[in-house]
Amino acid sequence: MYIIGENIHIISQAVKDAVAARDIRFFQDLAVKQVEAGAHVLDLNIGPQKKAGHEIMPWLVKGVQEVVDVPLSLDTTNLAAIEAGLKVAKAQCIINSTSAEEERLEKVPPLAKEYNAKLIALTMGKGGIPVGAEERVNIALEKLIPRAMELDIAMEDLLIDPLVLTVSGCQEYCPECVEAVRILKVAGDPPPMTNTGLSNVSNAVPGAMRPLINRTYCVMLMAAGVDYAIADPLDVQLKEFLRIVNQRDDSTGIGKLLLALYDKTAAMDRLTIDDVDMDDPEQADIFKTVQILYNDIIYTDSYLRV
Amino acid sequence: MPTIEVPKEKWNGKVREITLGATAAEGGTRAKTVTVGGETTLPFLHFEGEIPRPPAIAIEVQDRKPVDWSPVLLEAWGDVTEDVAAWTKAAAEAGADVILLKFSLHDELSPDYARQVLRHVLDATGLPLIVFGPGQADLDNDVLVAVAEEGKGENFVLGVCEDKNYRTIVAAALAHGHLVNARTAMDVNLAKQLNILISDMGLPLERIVMDPTTGALGYGMEYGYSVMERLRLAALQGDGMTQQPMLVTPGEEAWRAKEARAGEGVPQAWGDWAERAINWETLTASTLVESGADIVVLRHPESVKRVRGMIDVLMSKSGVTS
Repeated sequence: MYIIGENIHIISQAVKDAVAARDIRFFQDLAVKQVEAGAHVLDLNIGPQKKAGHEIMPWLVKGVQEVVDVPLSLDTTNLAAIEAGLKVAKAQCIINSTSAEEERLEKVPPLAKEYNAKLIALTMGKGGIPVGAEERVNIALEKLIPRAMELDIAMEDLLIDPLVLTVSGCQEYCPECVEAVRILKVAGDPPPMTNTGLSNVSNAVPGAMRPLINRTYCVMLMAAGVDYAIADPLDVQLKEFLRIVNQRDDSTGIGKLLLALYDKTAAMDRLTIDDVDMDDPEQADIFKTVQILYNDIIYTDSYLRV
Repeated sequence: MPTIEVPKEKWNGKVREITLGATAAEGGTRAKTVTVGGETTLPFLHFEGEIPRPPAIAIEVQDRKPVDWSPVLLEAWGDVTEDVAAWTKAAAEAGADVILLKFSLHDELSPDYARQVLRHVLDATGLPLIVFGPGQADLDNDVLVAVAEEGKGENFVLGVCEDKNYRTIVAAALAHGHLVNARTAMDVNLAKQLNILISDMGLPLERIVMDPTTGALGYGMEYGYSVMERLRLAALQGDGMTQQPMLVTPGEEAWRAKEARAGEGVPQAWGDWAERAINWETLTASTLVESGADIVVLRHPESVKRVRGMIDVLMSKSGVTS
C-alpha cells in the first residue's frame, strides 16, 4: 500500500498562512519531512482558491519538486489550478479528484488523459454517498470506470475512492467502506486501483484518540486490498502497524493480533475475543476499536473506557 | 402444503430491568412498583424472544395549572388541574402506571415549595413517580435535590439529566436512593456517552433510564424512531452501555404540534380539533412503542386509553383480542 502524505492541507492554519505568505520554505520542509518518513506521494491540498489557484498550484508544485522527487497529488476542486500544476510537474501526478457527478466527470478525466496523470475518482454521485458497499461499487462500475475506459485511461491510473467517513456519526459506513474496497478489487478485470482518505475515519473524534482508530482501520483496509491511503506519514505508530503487517511480524502479542485482524478481514471473517489477550491493555484497546469499526458497538468518546 | 420456518434472529443482549418506586418493605411508601425492560428481542416479536412486560404509560401532571396547554387538554381534565393532588388522583384513575410530576417555571418555585408539592402528590397516589424540574439547569438542580431528599428511598426517576447538567442530579439520586432520566438530543453516540458519564459517577446502570428524545408525528418523529431502533439493536447485540430502558415524552411533543394546538385558522379538512389532537398524541406514542419505548409519557386521558388498547393487542401473543 502506498501512502499519500496528507500534511500539506489547507485545513491547517499553518498551511493557510504559508500559502498566503507564499512561504515556499515551509512547504519544502514539510515535503522533505513527509518523504523522509516514508510518504510515497505528497498530497497538495490548497482548497478551492477560486482567484489565485492557477498561480498557487504551479508555484507549490515547482517549489516542492525542487526538494523531493515523489509524485504529487493535486488536491483542489479548481480545475484551472490542477491544469496549471500538471503543466509544470516533472513526475506523473495524481488528480484529486473527480466525483461521479456529471459535470465533474465530463471535465476532470480528460485532464488526466491529456497530462498522463492518475485520477482519484470518488464513489459519490448527485445523491451523496450511499451507505452500502454494493451501491458504492455500482457508482464505480456504472459511472467512473466506463468514463475512464471511454478516455482510454488505464485501470492502474484510476484510483477509485469509496470514501471513508467518520466513526463518530457515520459509523454504519465504516465496515461498508472496507467491503467496497474488497469488491472493487475483484470486480474489474483488470481491477482499478483503490484509494482511501484514511484519517477521515476519525474526524470529530478527540485528537488523542484519532491515531489508534486510523491505524486499526488501516490494517482492515489493507486486508481488503486497498492500494493507496491518504494518511499521516509522520504517525510513527501507524508505520509500526504497517511494518508488522508487511513483514508478518508475529513475534509480539500485538503482532499476532494485527495479523489475525488482517488475515480474518482478508478471509471475510471477523476478529473475535478469542484472538485477543484482554489482559494486555494495548490489545484490549485495539479490539475495542475493531468493534466500533465493525459497527458492533456504538462509538462514544469514552469507548475505550468501557 | 410446505411448512415455512419463520427465520429467527439470535440476540445475545437483554434490556436492563429497572424498577420504579419502592414499597414500604423496600424503604418507600408506594403501594406498588413498576418494572420495565427485560426484552431479549425487538418490540413484540414474541416468537423470537422475551417481551416480559408491556411498556408502561406515565401521565404528566404539573404542580399548577399549565398556562401553555391546549384548551383541549385542560377541558379533558377539568378542574383538577387547579390542584396537583386532585390531578394526580385523576391521572391514576385514567389508567397511569406511573405519575410524572413536572414542575413548571414560576416565581414561587423554590426547594420548600417543591417539597410541599411532592408531599401532596405522594399522599394522593400509591403509584411510582417520575419528577422533572422546570428545565433550567440551576432551578432543576435546586428542585430535584430538595425533592430527592424529601422523597428519600422512594425510588423516583429524577429528570432530566443532560450532558451539560447531570452531576448534581445524579449525586442527589445516589444520596437518596433514586433513579435518573438521561436525555440526549436524538443521537446514538451521545445517548451512550451520557450513560457512561453517569455510571462513572457511581450510579449503577440499573438506575438509569435513557431518554433519546423524540419529535411528534410530522416533526421529526422518524429521526427519534431511528435513534431508538439503533439503540435497541445495539442493546440486543450486547452493547452493555445501551441496554437502558427508554423513556420518551410523546405527549409533550405531540401537543406542541400545530395540528394538536390549533383549533382555528386551519383547513376544514383537518376535522374535529379534539379528535385530531388526540390522534396526534396517540399515533406519536404508538409509533414510539413500536420502536422500543419502555415508558411513554402522555397527557390526554383518551390517548392513554387508546395507547393502552394498542399495547394490549401487541402483548397478546396471538395478536388478536376479543
